[in-house]
Amino acid sequence: MVETSKIQRISDLDTVVDCDFHLVERQSDILPYIEEPFNKMLSRSTGDDYGYLSNLYPTPGFLTPVTTGKVQSETVRSPEDVRRGMEMLETDRSVLTPTQNLYLACVHHDELAGALAGAYNEYLLDTFIEPNEGLYGAVVVPPQKPQRGAEEIEKHGDEDGIIAAFVPSGGVHPPLGNSQYEPIYEAAESKGLPVMMHNAAGTMMKNFPQQFHGLDRYLSTHVPAHAMQHMVNLSSMITQGIPVKYPELNFIIQEAGIGWIPYFMRRFDAEYSGKREDAPMLNQQPSDYIRDQFYFTSQPLEGADDPAYIEHTLRLFDGGNNLMFSSDYPHLDFDHSDELLKMLRGKFSDEEIENIYGQTALSVYDF
Amino acid sequence: MSDTTTDKKRYFVASTAELESNDRVIAEIQGREIAVFDVDGEYYAVANYCVHQGGPACEGLLSGTVTVNEEMELSYDQEGEVVACPWHGWEFDVKTGEHLASSEYVLPTYDVVVDDCKVYVEL
Repeated sequence: MVETSKIQRISDLDTVVDCDFHLVERQSDILPYIEEPFNKMLSRSTGDDYGYLSNLYPTPGFLTPVTTGKVQSETVRSPEDVRRGMEMLETDRSVLTPTQNLYLACVHHDELAGALAGAYNEYLLDTFIEPNEGLYGAVVVPPQKPQRGAEEIEKHGDEDGIIAAFVPSGGVHPPLGNSQYEPIYEAAESKGLPVMMHNAAGTMMKNFPQQFHGLDRYLSTHVPAHAMQHMVNLSSMITQGIPVKYPELNFIIQEAGIGWIPYFMRRFDAEYSGKREDAPMLNQQPSDYIRDQFYFTSQPLEGADDPAYIEHTLRLFDGGNNLMFSSDYPHLDFDHSDELLKMLRGKFSDEEIENIYGQTALSVYDF
Repeated sequence: MSDTTTDKKRYFVASTAELESNDRVIAEIQGREIAVFDVDGEYYAVANYCVHQGGPACEGLLSGTVTVNEEMELSYDQEGEVVACPWHGWEFDVKTGEHLASSEYVLPTYDVVVDDCKVYVEL
């Protein structure tokens, strides 16, 4: 038990950084930025009014609470929309992330995926990035085209307000430890940018198609999807020695909750003891690399009605140094900034709470 | 019945006609936002503050909900009796304030009094 806590509410914190604030990019936002030949191919004046650009991102066809109207998500298509959300969440800085482009790894045309990433990045910079107002962003890279991803990082990595590279990691194939992705890691490391990894539940349709079809519901897909895809990618990355090859590179693992993290670290160490020959590059325990180079964002915080669970789980992976607050606003399972703080008060020191809400992010991202 | 409770006060919310045409009215009473729902002429008052993360629970979709019948076939029940918090979709029975997925979570409810076509909440 910590003796006294001066931090009672969000406004008591020095800086609140939201590590996952989503834009809701639409066809009319992205089309003007698409490079040739796709601009000529896609800039037609007639077409179906669903927005044909979104049809280029395979969709899972989920029946969700948004579909039924039981969740009424805000839209975020202007800096004013961002400011309104930040005011509600009481945050000082937002790391802006995409929505449609969470499905970028599923786009069924590699060159088009590159063009879509490029267009999103131009749109992001043109429309939103404003460090003086706390609006920061990450360069989206197309997993299908690692070299193009590296070029995007090199092109925008020095721009004011670009503070990370963003890999839409859901649906990637092969997993992210494969050597084909090394241009992305090399470029990010050389620009001093951490690599954010963010899945979407529906991207299961590509890398776990059998399970996706068999699950047959949004709920049953969403429960395992985020942590499951992260575990596969992290397993691949650490076994292949990515953190050893890029020792200055940090990774930010998003939107999978917290309980799986201490489980995964301990399981990896236990397995490694008997299977070390599969990972000869490693110089220390797999969990040491996770502690040193991997950071985790908080949303969606499971067990928020169980303070003992939250305290215990965070202690099991040094959450006071490795966890960073994220809201996921305006998506349907976003967390208000209050949600985690209620669980930390009285259990964690003021320094740890400040770390989780902003100080760690200030050091991990390239602010 | 309200006249017998000496420690509670009545607060006007809306006329019955207004509620009939709007299905719900949200009023601020003594610093609390309280929604009054009209379910087939019966009135129910529920706090407009979600017990999950503080969203405006009573401002969301008022509808029914999916359930299963005795043969475990999908059916749709409680039409007009279920409000969903627009932030995260938590469903609440407006008659009881109970969360449909777990009755451990309950929105506070309040007594409603109708007097001369005027609907009041008692606090």
